[in-house]
Amino acid sequence: MTVAPEKSAELVVPEGHVKLTIDGLEVVAPKGELLIRTAERLGIVIPRFCDHPLLDPAGACRQCLVEVEMGGRPMPKPQASCTMTVAEGMVVKTQHTSPVADKAQQGVMELLLINHPLDCPICDKGGECPLQNQALAHGRADSRFHETKRTFPKPIPISTQVLLDRERCVLCQRCTRFSSQIAGDPFIELLERGAQQQIGIAQEKPFQSYFSGNTIQICPVGALTSAAYRFRSRPFDLVSTPSVCEHCSSGCAERTDWRRGKVMRKLAGEDPEVNEEWICDKGRFAFRYATAADRLLRPMVRDADSGQLRESSWTEALRVAAEGLAKARDEAGGVGVLAGGRLTVEDAYAYGKFARVALRTNDVDFRARPHSAEELEFLAASVVGTSPESGGVTFRQLESAPAVLCVAFEPEEEAPIVFLRLRKAARKGRTKVFHLGQWTSPAVDKTFGTLLPCVPGGEPAAIEGLFFNSGTAEAFEALSGSGSVILVGERAAEVPGLFSSVLRLAERTGAKAAWIPRRAGERGALDAGVLPNLLPGGRQVTDGTARAEVEQAWGLAAGALSAEPGRDTDAILGAAAAGELGGLLVGGVDPYDLADPELALRAIERAGFVVSLELRPSAVTERADVVLPIAPSTEKSGSYLNWEGRRREFGTTLDGTGALPDCRVLDTLAVEMDADLFTQTPAAARANLERLGATASTRRAEPPAVPAPPAPGAGEDGVLLATWHQLIDNGSLQDEEPNLAGTARTPVARLSAATAEQFGVVAGEQVTVATERGSVTLTAEPADLPDGVVWLPLNSGVSRLRRELGAGHGATVSLRPQARGGNS
Amino acid sequence: MTTFDERPATAAETEVFGQDTVDRARAIIARYPRSRSALLPMLHLVQSVQGHVSQAGIAFCAQQLDLSNAEVSAVATFYTMYKRKPCGEHLVSVCTNTLCAALGGDDIYAKLREHLGSDGKPLGHEETSGTPGEPGSITLEHAECLAACDLGPVLQVNYEYYDNQTASSALELVKALQSGQKPAPTRGAPLSDFRKVELQLAGFFEDNESDVDGPSAAAETVRGAKIANEKGWTAPREPDSVEFPALPEKK
Ligand code: SF4
Ligand code: FES
Ligand code: FES
Repeated sequence: MTVAPEKSAELVVPEGHVKLTIDGLEVVAPKGELLIRTAERLGIVIPRFCDHPLLDPAGACRQCLVEVEMGGRPMPKPQASCTMTVAEGMVVKTQHTSPVADKAQQGVMELLLINHPLDCPICDKGGECPLQNQALAHGRADSRFHETKRTFPKPIPISTQVLLDRERCVLCQRCTRFSSQIAGDPFIELLERGAQQQIGIAQEKPFQSYFSGNTIQICPVGALTSAAYRFRSRPFDLVSTPSVCEHCSSGCAERTDWRRGKVMRKLAGEDPEVNEEWICDKGRFAFRYATAADRLLRPMVRDADSGQLRESSWTEALRVAAEGLAKARDEAGGVGVLAGGRLTVEDAYAYGKFARVALRTNDVDFRARPHSAEELEFLAASVVGTSPESGGVTFRQLESAPAVLCVAFEPEEEAPIVFLRLRKAARKGRTKVFHLGQWTSPAVDKTFGTLLPCVPGGEPAAIEGLFFNSGTAEAFEALSGSGSVILVGERAAEVPGLFSSVLRLAERTGAKAAWIPRRAGERGALDAGVLPNLLPGGRQVTDGTARAEVEQAWGLAAGALSAEPGRDTDAILGAAAAGELGGLLVGGVDPYDLADPELALRAIERAGFVVSLELRPSAVTERADVVLPIAPSTEKSGSYLNWEGRRREFGTTLDGTGALPDCRVLDTLAVEMDADLFTQTPAAARANLERLGATASTRRAEPPAVPAPPAPGAGEDGVLLATWHQLIDNGSLQDEEPNLAGTARTPVARLSAATAEQFGVVAGEQVTVATERGSVTLTAEPADLPDGVVWLPLNSGVSRLRRELGAGHGATVSLRPQARGGNS
Repeated sequence: MTTFDERPATAAETEVFGQDTVDRARAIIARYPRSRSALLPMLHLVQSVQGHVSQAGIAFCAQQLDLSNAEVSAVATFYTMYKRKPCGEHLVSVCTNTLCAALGGDDIYAKLREHLGSDGKPLGHEETSGTPGEPGSITLEHAECLAACDLGPVLQVNYEYYDNQTASSALELVKALQSGQKPAPTRGAPLSDFRKVELQLAGFFEDNESDVDGPSAAAETVRGAKIANEKGWTAPREPDSVEFPALPEKK
């Protein structure tokens, strides 16, 4: 028996704290802390099912019972330690010191198992199941229940990707609480009562949520399983590798589970600073693209005789590519580099360096989407180099900001974890969220937000309006609160004057502005200098001191780097289409993501020599002279910079597949061209980038100062197009995953009642949106858009706007009702 | 043709539930500071139209209250007063909780099941004899304690009490209902039909408030109070302070 020393060093109880005893140990805890948490801090584990630190307490499963004594009086019955908060002088006895608590826990476990099928040997969760583990640790070997168990038909699909075995459910309600509290998608509920009580969905209304996969992970039993993963493997056969999500700029921590060279599933990793314990369904389920049958595994060169691509050796492909690029560089006006927005920092760095060192050009751009010169200035002046360490905006700051304004940014669709943080902040009532957009999208509702409506292209005018318009005084005032944040998204590049207005607003209110690109690689590519105006580390091409630093670090002759900013993506394509550029080096770029896909395709065709680094065939590889296969994120190491500028490093998941990262391919290609990149491996590339360090130059980039144009109008017969990407859409990184695709939001055309009436459009019927290039026909749905505006998803189902219409956010389009039954 | 107003009336709204139901729904919502509080009366409202809570009814409530269908289903499937299948003109609830059961409730229920059954098969719980909604159709259910134990065995028709029943009195009652009569309940409001009562439960009395207010206690229930009153009996006054017994020794 341990006896407390006579004169134990008195525990000091700070303000707002209380002192209590758990299993004989004195402990100081902040007021309001749940007993189960305090016990955890002492290393005392109380069994539990429904308790989850990120969900509101529920006390639903009763597994966490302990004995509690208050003011010398024992409470009459054991208490749920997950709902009871600490109090001064409380004496708590867990199963370790109280036979009563132990017996209560065993009893609860016995009851929970009464109707459980005990089918662990065929259950996905077996081996990682809190029920299985805790039944062994805290349950009885035998049950006194010998009657017939209640059974249900199993499983029932509650969405295309989540299956429910009701027999295994312990009714802890983690899934329902996650959905209503965290995701804001209350499409799964506790139904019926008594012995029939069960989790379910409304009839014919599937569990519609971008975050539903999290319920599979937090279900403490095997009741919720993944349609894609069900019966595929046992947890103990899997190797788990920490990884980082390759999809959006949130940079979520993930755990990739694999065996025999094949990724079986991805789970959310824990990172309280970034994704807490959640990831979106895209991050969880969209990984099979990397094993698609058409994955490029061998280099290909275009056969001179047949004009067809044929497989070749690396030696041959690299030689042909090097020769072709050198020739284009020296004799045909130069080579432009389109790197794409999905690269790791290390790979991006290699593209930038390859352009400057091997191709001797600043014609390099990672922006495979509409972009602008104003954006370049904005990125150079306000984004590059920011990080949590340098005082940049962070996820945590979103949570404590008095106000957040989303500008041209649709958080749930573009950076879902940012959305979850905004919802969390708003739900606690601390943060007011404003959305400068076109309609009350689900994210506006679910962040308890206020829509500041404007026409597409009218965002700058609306921001200027914030300064004096009394109707929006509330927003202006809120943003002036210390710690407020303005988040600006990728489609801001389609709105002239918007970046400038955002910076003006930031200056006037004192709010911090942050840029949230959609793709995982954009922020890293920015800092790695994959832009026509920037070298690594935010060094400006026009800054002599900065150039000299780079020349020295790269071992180049003084003056080797051009002081002239290069062409951006559009200009590179324009020059190639005009025959002014002899070659293109294209990373993972899909021409149909660009502002003008037709121009892009023409440019690629016209360019004398095209080298494509790709994972899978695309419109670029079809037209390339040399195709070099590269590794997907699971087959290489590296790091992403998330939107915060936080480095998200990951190791190789699948080793030894022979797939090469871009940096390695470019390094070898450069050697063939007599240039040294020192990017043989991601680690080498990183070291090489780090050697550059921070710049000593004090020259600051000038922020953009484009005056806000007046809000546009669409003229007599047209309407303005508002559009953005939906999270789950036609993106090629979601290929091969039909279960995920089944949860995509149905593409519809949204418009106001007045606009519908003006054009004779009827709710629920087809409407055709067209430009000179082509048309898209979708079902019309009413929404609170400004009049004269139609919203379509950018790349969902048939709504492939860049490809079909050659149009994007803010474009003028025509609108006409589609006769019933007509399909032309 | 569907109109294209701000929040369009869906098929569920206009086809199944007429404008008057939509108006009533809005009136219910107006009673509460938070709209979702209106869900329980709203579910009674849709039952008053369809005789049960249908999927369309769930969708209607969800839309009016800005809830998800799953949230409404959760509530609708929890309470036994919300029926999943269309009910008859009358709902007969026989108390088979312990006390009534022992006093004869089980016999009453068995008798009624047999009488209302067909093809030699007794009618089941929450099943309907006759075509739901048609005159004389009857839905039978066994109920938990109806809070009239002193008058047991009891049954209710459309939630109105018929006290001190026997198997034969209950059978008589049901036969009368089937033939279109409306025998007066032992106490409380006169008998109407299930859907009308559902409308009342939703809070709409159509100028018949007087039918449903006023005392409905039975003589048996107030007998004790009456005697005490006559004899001037009162409960002992609560003392000003109470000595608590000493705490048991800590172990
Ligand atoms: S399905 Fe799983 S998470 Fe949901 S209540 Fe049942 S046991 Fe809990
Ligand atoms: S963990 Fe405490 S009641 Fe479930
Ligand atoms: S037991 Fe029948 S009314 Fe109480």
